[in-house]
Amino acid sequence: MRYFIRRLLSTLLVLAGVSVLIFVLVRLLPGNIVDIIAGTEGELSHAQRLAVLQEFGLNQPLPVQYGLWVWNLLHGNFGYSYRTDQPVAGLLLSRLPITIELALLSVVASALIGMILGIVASVSSSGKVKVVAQIVGLLGLSIPSFWLAVVLIIFASFTFHWLPPLIFVQIWQNPWLNLQQMFLPVLSLALGLAAVVLRMTRSSMLEVLGEDYVKVAWAKGLPRRVVVLRHALRNALIPVVTVLGLQTGYLLGGVVITEQIFGLPGLGWTLLNGVYQRDYPVVEGSVMLFSVTFAVINLVVDLLYTALDPRIRYE
Amino acid sequence: MSDREDFRRVSVHRELSRRSFLQLGASGLAMAGAAIIVAACGQSATPAPSQVAQSAPTTAPGAAPTVAATAAPTAAAASNPTAVTTSKATTATTGKPTPGGTLYAAAEVDPVSLDPHTQSNFSALQAYDHIYESLTAYDEKMNVIPSLATKWDISEDGKTYTFHLRPNVKFHNGQTLSANDVKYSIDRVLNPKTASPWKSWLGPMEAVKVVDPLTVQMVMGTPFPPLLSGLAGNRASGIMPAGLAEKLNLKIKAIGTGPFKLIEYVPLDHISYQKFTDYWNQPYPYMGGMVFKILQEESARLAGLKAGQIEYAELSAQGAAQIKGAAGISILESPYAWVDLTENNLSVPALKDARVRRALRMTIDIKSMIQKAAFGAAVPSGPVPAGYGQWPLPQNELPYLTPDLAGAKKLLAEAGHPNGQGLAPIVIKCSPQYPDFVSNAEIMKASFAQIGVQSTVQQEEWGTFVKDSAPPGFNYQQSNTADTFRPDPDGFLYPYFHSKGNLNPGNYSNPKVDSLLDQARTISDQSQRVTLYHDIQKILLQDCPTFFWYTKYNIEATGGKLHGYAQSFTGRRYLLYKAWLTG
Repeated sequence: MRYFIRRLLSTLLVLAGVSVLIFVLVRLLPGNIVDIIAGTEGELSHAQRLAVLQEFGLNQPLPVQYGLWVWNLLHGNFGYSYRTDQPVAGLLLSRLPITIELALLSVVASALIGMILGIVASVSSSGKVKVVAQIVGLLGLSIPSFWLAVVLIIFASFTFHWLPPLIFVQIWQNPWLNLQQMFLPVLSLALGLAAVVLRMTRSSMLEVLGEDYVKVAWAKGLPRRVVVLRHALRNALIPVVTVLGLQTGYLLGGVVITEQIFGLPGLGWTLLNGVYQRDYPVVEGSVMLFSVTFAVINLVVDLLYTALDPRIRYE
Repeated sequence: MSDREDFRRVSVHRELSRRSFLQLGASGLAMAGAAIIVAACGQSATPAPSQVAQSAPTTAPGAAPTVAATAAPTAAAASNPTAVTTSKATTATTGKPTPGGTLYAAAEVDPVSLDPHTQSNFSALQAYDHIYESLTAYDEKMNVIPSLATKWDISEDGKTYTFHLRPNVKFHNGQTLSANDVKYSIDRVLNPKTASPWKSWLGPMEAVKVVDPLTVQMVMGTPFPPLLSGLAGNRASGIMPAGLAEKLNLKIKAIGTGPFKLIEYVPLDHISYQKFTDYWNQPYPYMGGMVFKILQEESARLAGLKAGQIEYAELSAQGAAQIKGAAGISILESPYAWVDLTENNLSVPALKDARVRRALRMTIDIKSMIQKAAFGAAVPSGPVPAGYGQWPLPQNELPYLTPDLAGAKKLLAEAGHPNGQGLAPIVIKCSPQYPDFVSNAEIMKASFAQIGVQSTVQQEEWGTFVKDSAPPGFNYQQSNTADTFRPDPDGFLYPYFHSKGNLNPGNYSNPKVDSLLDQARTISDQSQRVTLYHDIQKILLQDCPTFFWYTKYNIEATGGKLHGYAQSFTGRRYLLYKAWLTG
């Protein structure tokens, strides 16, 4: 419990640091909303520029802007998007489920593919199986997800004349349509992650399978299924879970590009667009949300260790 | 509600028989390989074959440097012997228009906003163009035609415009258009607090007066002939019901008088419109509705077209080459208001001397640049884009159509820099947001090196690039960018090349240009203005304060069901209101 509280406190500290960083970083980017509105051809006089800055409160000193932002944040007010005038909190909340779904499905898909292939590759005595697993692992690691995404779209359309429904549907509105829309994006994201899981599972399994207690299990005459899945796999999973946790964080990065390519209106694309358009509240809000998610995932992974291996205790 | 349901049902399926499935499976691997190569060669060095080159009718084989040009202003073509061929700019219009149906289309960029007054972004115009109208409009040939105003009178001194409004025009909320609404909308643009980036299109306007419910007067400080076309440009003059901006979040909602009314805009996902049944210009629009899905990734647009999921998309030349010849797909292309150019900052010592600039300009092989950077889908251009009626210089009067390295070397030596000696390396700024700007920069670098002038290409993220381009800083030496549509040739010239222009980096100043520009602003005789603007352009091409490269083609693909759609020189797609769907 004490450990948990300590972890929670340090997480909060990290988030406070992130809030300062993102606030400063986004303003360090050259150009602001006024430049974006004016573009390269539009003409805005000095008075017009000031009027815009004033409208968005950007004429105030930085510490004041930061104070106001954090104060509002603590009251659950993420501010208003410069671009659409919509409340950022509502915007992010409507976008978050899409990204979470995409990330979750990708993690689940990659865990399934990766672990199954990894186990098979570690147990099988067939050389061919090992080669296939190696190739999948190598391809998955070396093909960037954004490139795979483009290939998948072209392939689906030009070869199978199939594309998912055009206008995005939330999963609670129509699960079947939604899953069709998620299919290609998940595939493009899952392959890379599956490769990591595969390699991790395989090497970890090979190590565990050589341990004494596994030999004992064999010697006891336990069926192969029980030895591999119950005795060996459980211990082999710890590094795999660590990697999955870490990779989920990175997945959130991959989501940014994937969402744009497939036209999924998720948090990642929202963030990217926010950066392009210097929509500070949206960028700040979504980065904060990403950071919270990242921190929570790390926390959960740590807690998962105890569930997987009772010998691990935090004091 | 039924409309919304309908939007979701556009899943594209094709039942696969077992046999075809097997065939597909067998060809699958081969296709995967092909697809991979296609995608990997996105930046292939081989230029895409130009449709125009193939399809250009040979009507003017004798004309010296023959280049396809000017689809839009055919009226001008008659009086302009060098305006050459018409590339394909309209879809087949066989058959009678049939009403109904919903157009599914791709929007290449998420519109920045739906507010018709406060954004410089073209994406915003593309989105609100179907909703808001102005007092005047452009037809397919760029003639200014009546829209919400049926006629207008201009006072003797050219300072007062009196507009007579069309009676019984309805807004999408059922309200009837009156002079108050016009005053409210235009006043909103004139108000500095609105920060309208295109306010200059209204010129020196001082006041808007309501004469009676159907008559409005606009009072200018000085005569301003481009006002009527400025209104037709619809970037700072969309008419909305009085008080709307205070009631509605105009960035995502809209109420206008246009052929389509907004159903919903979900940023980053889609915009949907429905036919406005009380539209004043019956029988338009034919289509029952339009849905624009935001698909920034060109591969996704190509896939959508190919699968029959969308009937309309804007494409790059490379994208068009990938899909050309596919069943049911037509590619439309014609030059439009988009001139790729390089702005020279004249406060940089290396670029101060006109002889140096001209020498640099002479190194460029423009035809090769068009092949490499625009994939053949462009024509050489002066300051005013090719295809803009009679305003641009005719193609055969353009200088620099072939590179002249010997001449360039000689000029450079005359300027005291034989083989580039004593010239600091030039920094060319560009943004990968527009790949052609980057390609242009690379070609410039290689060409400049041929006469011994060193340069580096510096790529910047778009927001940074915009910041660096902005006055009064002009934080660049050479900046690769483009000019888009202006309602009058004045807009391509005055702000950049008049010594008092506010977009004039390094204060280019030529008294001759100044006086010609001033003169052209006060004359209302069009043919006299044409002569003046031709003279100005000739001087600018000699002085080279800016390097003008090429006018790009607007490339749009339509599926087999969309008919009667015509491209606009403005690059806008508002003419969709005249199009219809079959099948």
